Amino acid sequence: MANVFPKWVNLVPIKVVIAILLITTAVVVGATYYFTPKYSRVGYAPTQPVAFSHALHSGQLEIDCRYCHTFVDRSEHSNVPGSNVCMSCHSMVRKDDPQLAMIRDSYESGEPVPWVRIHKTPDYVYFNHAVHVNRGISCVECHGDIQNMEVVHHDKPLSMGFCLECHRNPEDYIRPVEEVYNLDWERPTDTDSLEELHSFVHDWNINPPQSCSGCHR
Amino acid sequence: MNESDPSGPRYWKSLDDLAETPAFRDWVEKEFPAGASEMEGVNRRQFMKVMAASFGLAGLGVAGCRRPKQHILPYSRQPENLIPGIPNYYSSSQPGRRSNVPVIVETHTGRPTKIEGNPSYKPFGGGTTVYTQASVLDLYDPDRATKSTEKGTTLTPAAVLDQLESIRKTHAGDKGAGLVFLAEPSTSPTRAALVESIAKEFPEATWAEYTAIDESTAERAAAAVTGKALRAIPDFAKAKRVLSLDDDFIGFGEGHTAFTRGFAKSRKVKDSKDASKMSRLYAVESTLTSTGSAADHRLRLGSSQIPAFAAQLAAAVLASKGGDAALIASFEKAASGLKVDAKWIEECAADLVENAGYSLVTAGSHQPEAVHSMVLAINQALKAPISYFEVPMATKGISDVVELLNKGSVSTLLILGGNPAYDAPVDLDWKAAQAKAATSIYLGISPNETTAESTVFIAQSHYLETWSDGRTLDGTLVPVQPMIEPIFPTLSDIEVLARLAGSETTDAYSLVKATFAKLGGKDFNKFLSDGLLADSATKAVTPKLDLAKIAALLAKADFSAPSLSADSLEVRFKASSHAGDGRYANNGWMMECPDPMTKLTWDNAILISPRLAKELEQVQGIQIFPGHKPMNKKSAFIDGAKGQQQLNKAQFKRGKELAVFAEITVNGRTMKAPIHVVPGMANYTVELPLGLGRSNAGRVGTGVGFDFYGLRSSDALGFATGASIKLTNEEYLLANTQEHWSMEGRAIVREGTAVYYKKNPEFANQMGVESHAPANYGKDDDKSLQDKAQHNYRGNSAYEHPTFSKPDPNVKIWKGNEDKFPKTQQWGMSIDLNSCFGCSACVVACQSENNIPIVGKDQVLRGREMHWMRLDRYFSAAEYDQSEVPEDVQVSFMGVSCQHCENAPCESVCPVNATVHDKQGLNTMAYNRCVGTRYCANNCPYKVRRFNFLDWNKRKIGEFYKGPLGPVDEPELEKMQKNPNVTVRMRGVMEKCTYCTQRIEAAKIAQKSAAGASGDIFVRDGAIKTACQQVCPTDAIRFGDIADPNTEVSKAKASDRNYSVLGYLNVRPRTTYLARLRNPNPKMPDAYEKPFAYAQYKKRYGSSGSSPSKHDDHSDHKEEAHSAH
Repeated sequence: MANVFPKWVNLVPIKVVIAILLITTAVVVGATYYFTPKYSRVGYAPTQPVAFSHALHSGQLEIDCRYCHTFVDRSEHSNVPGSNVCMSCHSMVRKDDPQLAMIRDSYESGEPVPWVRIHKTPDYVYFNHAVHVNRGISCVECHGDIQNMEVVHHDKPLSMGFCLECHRNPEDYIRPVEEVYNLDWERPTDTDSLEELHSFVHDWNINPPQSCSGCHR
Repeated sequence: MNESDPSGPRYWKSLDDLAETPAFRDWVEKEFPAGASEMEGVNRRQFMKVMAASFGLAGLGVAGCRRPKQHILPYSRQPENLIPGIPNYYSSSQPGRRSNVPVIVETHTGRPTKIEGNPSYKPFGGGTTVYTQASVLDLYDPDRATKSTEKGTTLTPAAVLDQLESIRKTHAGDKGAGLVFLAEPSTSPTRAALVESIAKEFPEATWAEYTAIDESTAERAAAAVTGKALRAIPDFAKAKRVLSLDDDFIGFGEGHTAFTRGFAKSRKVKDSKDASKMSRLYAVESTLTSTGSAADHRLRLGSSQIPAFAAQLAAAVLASKGGDAALIASFEKAASGLKVDAKWIEECAADLVENAGYSLVTAGSHQPEAVHSMVLAINQALKAPISYFEVPMATKGISDVVELLNKGSVSTLLILGGNPAYDAPVDLDWKAAQAKAATSIYLGISPNETTAESTVFIAQSHYLETWSDGRTLDGTLVPVQPMIEPIFPTLSDIEVLARLAGSETTDAYSLVKATFAKLGGKDFNKFLSDGLLADSATKAVTPKLDLAKIAALLAKADFSAPSLSADSLEVRFKASSHAGDGRYANNGWMMECPDPMTKLTWDNAILISPRLAKELEQVQGIQIFPGHKPMNKKSAFIDGAKGQQQLNKAQFKRGKELAVFAEITVNGRTMKAPIHVVPGMANYTVELPLGLGRSNAGRVGTGVGFDFYGLRSSDALGFATGASIKLTNEEYLLANTQEHWSMEGRAIVREGTAVYYKKNPEFANQMGVESHAPANYGKDDDKSLQDKAQHNYRGNSAYEHPTFSKPDPNVKIWKGNEDKFPKTQQWGMSIDLNSCFGCSACVVACQSENNIPIVGKDQVLRGREMHWMRLDRYFSAAEYDQSEVPEDVQVSFMGVSCQHCENAPCESVCPVNATVHDKQGLNTMAYNRCVGTRYCANNCPYKVRRFNFLDWNKRKIGEFYKGPLGPVDEPELEKMQKNPNVTVRMRGVMEKCTYCTQRIEAAKIAQKSAAGASGDIFVRDGAIKTACQQVCPTDAIRFGDIADPNTEVSKAKASDRNYSVLGYLNVRPRTTYLARLRNPNPKMPDAYEKPFAYAQYKKRYGSSGSSPSKHDDHSDHKEEAHSAH
């Protein structure tokens, strides 16, 4: 009887094994890279050059967010304050504290303090702070309970899915505009209050974009 | 494997395929414009090798490719009035030699990125020229002057000041004898004051002014006949009849934005009842210009014949106005020898006279003073709507300086701006003369030809870095404000002159402020915030003509119209559209912006008429045109479908124009350059665009194009006669972006005459296939534009269409509250073809706003230019003969960018959903999703998608092909110009017009932020201006919400002239056009019933109309032909 299988079939098993190995490796590597929280940086909490505590300033002392992040309601960026803002208090309060030496130096020399960036959207995403905070979306929705953080960490994934979740269901995240900077505000659970929150969406014509042009330009 | 040597059996689809005729290969490969989709210089194997290497490198990096640590560096002390993320806008003006352009500059954290016209200055209405748009790039030109030098060695800023001080000391004793200034003219009163104080201190010093393209002839003529140098500013908005004597008042000239705008106003037609109010333009010209293309009657006549024409016309006008008989006689005598249809002049003059008070005549600044004096007389007789202003005149010019230099009496020569070593008249032999000065000091913006000849070079600041002031054409005082500290150690002309004048303060700001106070200004801050001093225009005067002086001028002038022929040609020197007089030669945006008429980029050529080309061919036996061979001769498909295939009669090889090199000789001087044939040129006039062929311009401009200054002598700056052309066998590739000379029979540009429009208001919609096809919207065809825009009715289409009026299905909150769902604003654009004269400002404004790269000549030749907005130029002729290039043409312009189709064909073919529709009707591009299949560009009927074939942004021109390991160095300086609100696209990504989505979103965000806890979210009409709309001096482009019937754009689209290009495809473009109107005079010998394009269209398709109710009515046509005569 002639050979049923041609000769090249001899190599098929080993090829299949190699292929499976390669594919498995690719899947494992890919999943580790893309599907672990590290990819979206959740939990990232770098050491800052000056150990600024949001828990102290924002939580305990209840300083309004906008005292330092002055332009959050006007600009796309929520600016990191210049050293002059720190100095407006610390020229009197704890004015010789060694922890603040860097701030004082910066104020004197004009060299900026190299804060480490924690939250970052990709370059092709044009997120705008002003329109969110002015329309009833609080800082905590994206930044987490910043008022309790001794060291700020990346709390939410800030992925496109994360953005769209809110853009599809704004009623679950919206709050009265006067409560936007009240980071301790708790979402009511009774039907009446929820209905009021829902009515904000209707009354303010909230129709967040889901199209590409909303964020990508 | 060689493609032409296939192994195995061969199949073919047609005879052409079998024969592998070049034409067929062309046809097959034409998915993209010529050469676009090939990869030259790299074959596949090489490519794979290189790519494998880079993949390997990428693999090495995987472990460390989490996001790198980044720092945020806030200000140490936050400056006032600066919000990171919000651009600041400052008013300023771009200095000119005759007129400043009032502008508003957008700055991002101190970097000027975009220049827009200042709408507070009404005559310009926010419009600017293309040069103003491009001027921001010069600030970041990597080749600009970064340091001052003395014979090649660097001078410190302190040493430069010492140099200036030493000039003062040297000439303190001799009262300035031997001190000579050669400056570019300027409008700055501060500079004028400094010049005055220098003259006081150094009374023996010489002050002369020179600029290569002088536009002050009319003023000198007025000085001769009225005793005062008067500048004429015609009010084109009021004029009903205009005659231009070789004057391109639309396309050329400083401060002429006001003229263009005024003229466009007089052409605006709201509806068919308005049609008769439209103005009429007659143009007599030697070269094809924007003005000629806008004209209703155009006569081709050599520049040297214009004086005789003007005299004849003056005689006709004055005779019917009962003018001075002796003067008329002298005019008639001057006009003898002119060979022009007398009826043309007669009827034109009659029309001007009939509309006296509302008619005017203008003449080109290259025409002799005698012509301008006649124009003064004609305009006075016509009571033309022109205001006259007295202007200061410089007394000395470059020839005086050369005379002094040759005498050897110049010890210090100071050249302030300009570039005389490059653009001085050739007979003056500037370089030799300059060498005779003991010291020559040159203040210039970039190292150039003059720098090489000078002892000391002082680096000059860009106008966006300096304090100064200036005046517009009508004398309105405008500021020049710095947007940024000088990037390099540079000085402005004011700072240099202040030091030489020994003024108390050398600080330009204080000087400008002092001048402002002296000129009667009160509130300096208001001056800066308004960008102009209200009511500061010069007071108008009434000219008193001295007829005897006109007659004397005429007697002196030589009016004998020389007879021109192929052996005795006339050459006309003009500033090129790319480089102006040479100053924009190193500006990549300008070099790549196609010339409005020739559509050439990165080059200038000898422009000749078709007649001359034919005669040269016959006499010299060298082919300029290719043989007459249809592209697809045997193809039954083409012949059957469309009549005959149309031809390009010029030498085109797949988009690359193969031009014949020629030697042109003028007065014994010879230059070699390629020839480009332009229909519509006067038969024996040759146009030589100046400003290119620079030998020392920088990386962009050096060696690009041809320098015709070498033919220009001081007695014939505008035009010269007695030239000849000798063809050579050499050829040269020209990068032409538009080789198509017709519309392939499609009704893309639609035109009618005013008379026809009045009778037949619907004409624009009775052309094209859609007038024969069933309505796109089917039963919903009669619904309003607003309704259609929101619902996108399915019509007769087989597919369900997305609607914009309902909430997305994945949103719960509106369920049960659908009636409350806010209407989404629907963006749309309208372009009025009646107001477009081809200035191209929109092209560069778009480039500047949207970070569009330049690609260089080599890449343009491959059809890879990136402009989102292209300005198509169409020619049409009375008699269409495909074997000839027509001599007389009508020109039509049409700006085309992404049409934002509601049923966009590009979207349905994208395999990765990178291009999709948004709720506002925009066709969006998500660059990050794009994988570069280019299917979308293939499927786009308008050909408006652009592909990043190579890394245009990260690599320099010439280094595109260096492979993945080649240097990637985005120059820091150029990066500073980029708009931070627009993604800089990388290689492999498709891009196209976005309707300036960044501006739309900014306006929406501003509106919503302000709305806060209220529902007031609708963006007001006019709050969004796209870059092209903003810059348009004629308001041809309108943009806004088409879901609201009261917006400007909705009103425009409601016009009966509104039509969609290729509307029958049912792609439903959001950009629609208003048909163009021409307004011919039926009494003229060259009157036409229909614009040539329309007549051509009728001829081809007129008889095949199948639905008489919709299509053009033929009986009506006949009737009108009678009434027209």
